[in-house]
Amino acid sequence: MTDDIYKPSADAVAKRHKARFDKRVIVRHAFLIAWALVVMFPIYWMLQTSFKDSGEWVTWPPHWVPHEPTLKNYEQIFTFNVQQAGVARDATEQPFNIWGSLADSLIICTFSSLIALLLGTFLAYSISRFNVGGKRFRHSVLMIRMIPPIVIAIPVLMYFAVIIPFATESVFGTRISLFDTRIGVIMLYIAISLPFVIWMMLAFIDEVPYTVEHAARIMGASRMYTIRKIVLPLVASGMVVTFLFIFILNWAEFLLALTLTHPDVSTLPVLLNKFQSASEGRLYGPQAAIGTVITIPVVIMGILIQKHLVKGFSFGMMRR
Amino acid sequence: MARIVLKDLVKEFGLFRAVKGINLDIQDGEFLIMVGPSGCGKTTTLNMISGLVPPTSGSITIGDKDVTFMEPGERGLGMMFQDLALFPHMTVFENVAFGLRVKDTPESEIKERVHKAADAMHITPLLSKRPGQCSGGEAQRVALARTLVTNPEVYLMDEPLSSLDAKLRIDMRTELKGLHKRLKGTFVYVTHDQAEAMTMADRIVVINGGRIEQLGEPLEIYRKPATRFVAGFFGMPTMNFLEGEVAAADGGPLFTNAAIRVPLDATTPASLAGRKVVLGVRSEHVETGTGTNSGEVRLIEPLGDASLVFFEFGDATRLVAKVDPDLEFKSNDKLTFEFDPGNCHLFDTESGVRLN
Repeated sequence: MTDDIYKPSADAVAKRHKARFDKRVIVRHAFLIAWALVVMFPIYWMLQTSFKDSGEWVTWPPHWVPHEPTLKNYEQIFTFNVQQAGVARDATEQPFNIWGSLADSLIICTFSSLIALLLGTFLAYSISRFNVGGKRFRHSVLMIRMIPPIVIAIPVLMYFAVIIPFATESVFGTRISLFDTRIGVIMLYIAISLPFVIWMMLAFIDEVPYTVEHAARIMGASRMYTIRKIVLPLVASGMVVTFLFIFILNWAEFLLALTLTHPDVSTLPVLLNKFQSASEGRLYGPQAAIGTVITIPVVIMGILIQKHLVKGFSFGMMRR
Repeated sequence: MARIVLKDLVKEFGLFRAVKGINLDIQDGEFLIMVGPSGCGKTTTLNMISGLVPPTSGSITIGDKDVTFMEPGERGLGMMFQDLALFPHMTVFENVAFGLRVKDTPESEIKERVHKAADAMHITPLLSKRPGQCSGGEAQRVALARTLVTNPEVYLMDEPLSSLDAKLRIDMRTELKGLHKRLKGTFVYVTHDQAEAMTMADRIVVINGGRIEQLGEPLEIYRKPATRFVAGFFGMPTMNFLEGEVAAADGGPLFTNAAIRVPLDATTPASLAGRKVVLGVRSEHVETGTGTNSGEVRLIEPLGDASLVFFEFGDATRLVAKVDPDLEFKSNDKLTFEFDPGNCHLFDTESGVRLN
């Protein structure tokens, strides 16, 4: 074959390739590792601060690892009676522990994300299949998120704390306020998650060819049966990814929760902010401990659904 | 029984009229193939029969039921799609069983019928696999098994073979024809491949621009195309077309233009004399080595059992003749040719309607 004339020996190719490969790989990896360190450092700092006692929180030069590791911070955020032995700190000013907030956060985020996922998936289905809202709607869905949350925080506060109570009292005779209630935060979180759910699920549902639905319809399946048995299983990975995405957003949401709750309901990010005292300022240790506690469930969830993450983000489920 | 009658079927998408009034009587047990170029309305027509697309006006009867406004699932149909539309998340077994499950068939019966259909389509070893693990031909059989497991009276097929490679496609043609014989159902099959239509159909309906151009048996359509469009659509290579006029002469009618004079069949209507026409002649009806017209060879395409000779004459008009492969032609060779008078088709220059 004439091709052989132009081909250097396989050995030579391998050598040349290897040399170039090595140099490139080293440069690339050095850069990536350096960048990874920069990015990961705050997480490391949070983690190690959570094991430091108050004297070590802010030191010069910084303590790169805790010199006297302690669990006091975790004790303080987990125990009910903060004045118990061992936590000899300006504790009386901190009548908080994490349990109430953990429950608030879990309930609010789980329910709001699940409901938003369910509603959003069906909305996305109708936009994908029936062009609900017109051709442009699918592109403007995310627009609502371009309004900064702080802009809506106060109007929503007025709505929850004044207008709804006023309306319910005038109509039903009972004053119902959504301010400082879990259900109020859940409703708001559903509203702010929906655009993301619709936008993400649209991409997944658009991938499901019409013909599989047509095939099911011809065989006598109803629309709901087809959605249940064909469409939802095909976009399941997408739903998992979407759920995780909005769960994390809601889990970390601070501003709206801060504005709309106090003192009964408090999500973890809001609680974290409350850990400061008059004499010591910010309680970095307990805050770092809470930060760690907040991070863990999300990381665990991510690991558990890794399989779906890969599938979901590849968007290529239907290709054979 | 599943006779299908389409009456004045019209479909409009906004301002676009995809189907412009189709009347069709499909006999029970017939293998009818709708063929036409893409965008001609054949798939829309099929989808109206299936119920997936509601007609703008007109009516559809299957058996003795008017199904025009019935749900697809109530029409007793089986349908195969171009992309097969297998459910990728289910096993082959579940794919085939889907139609039975929808109708709440008892589990034991589902098992029995799925295995029977799988046997018939030779896919029993695949039952526990997923469609993604099947080859193209296997997926095709799975789709077929899924279609026939519910015992529909009418089978609708929307270019089911177009995703297969050439060899497999030809094998599947034979298989589908055999299947039709065994099942005795009414087959309505859509394709843009004229060869597929010719080989499988009992009758072919040629659709163009949302209208029926011709309805007839394959050979009838091939031998006596009703319009210039049909003539050009069927046959490989495409029929030769020449513009000119019919002249009456002593020896019988002639077709003439500036470069050529060819005798026409004596049965050519005398009323055509002096009329401008388009003459169509298939490559196998162009005879070389005889006649008074001469041309120059440009290109030879050997097919094995025959050779195609492309030659030019007059004002660079190009014709193709199908000749014996043993005849050795070379580029720029001179040749003489004539047309078989009995197989010359005359069409109106404007409307394209057949004149002889």
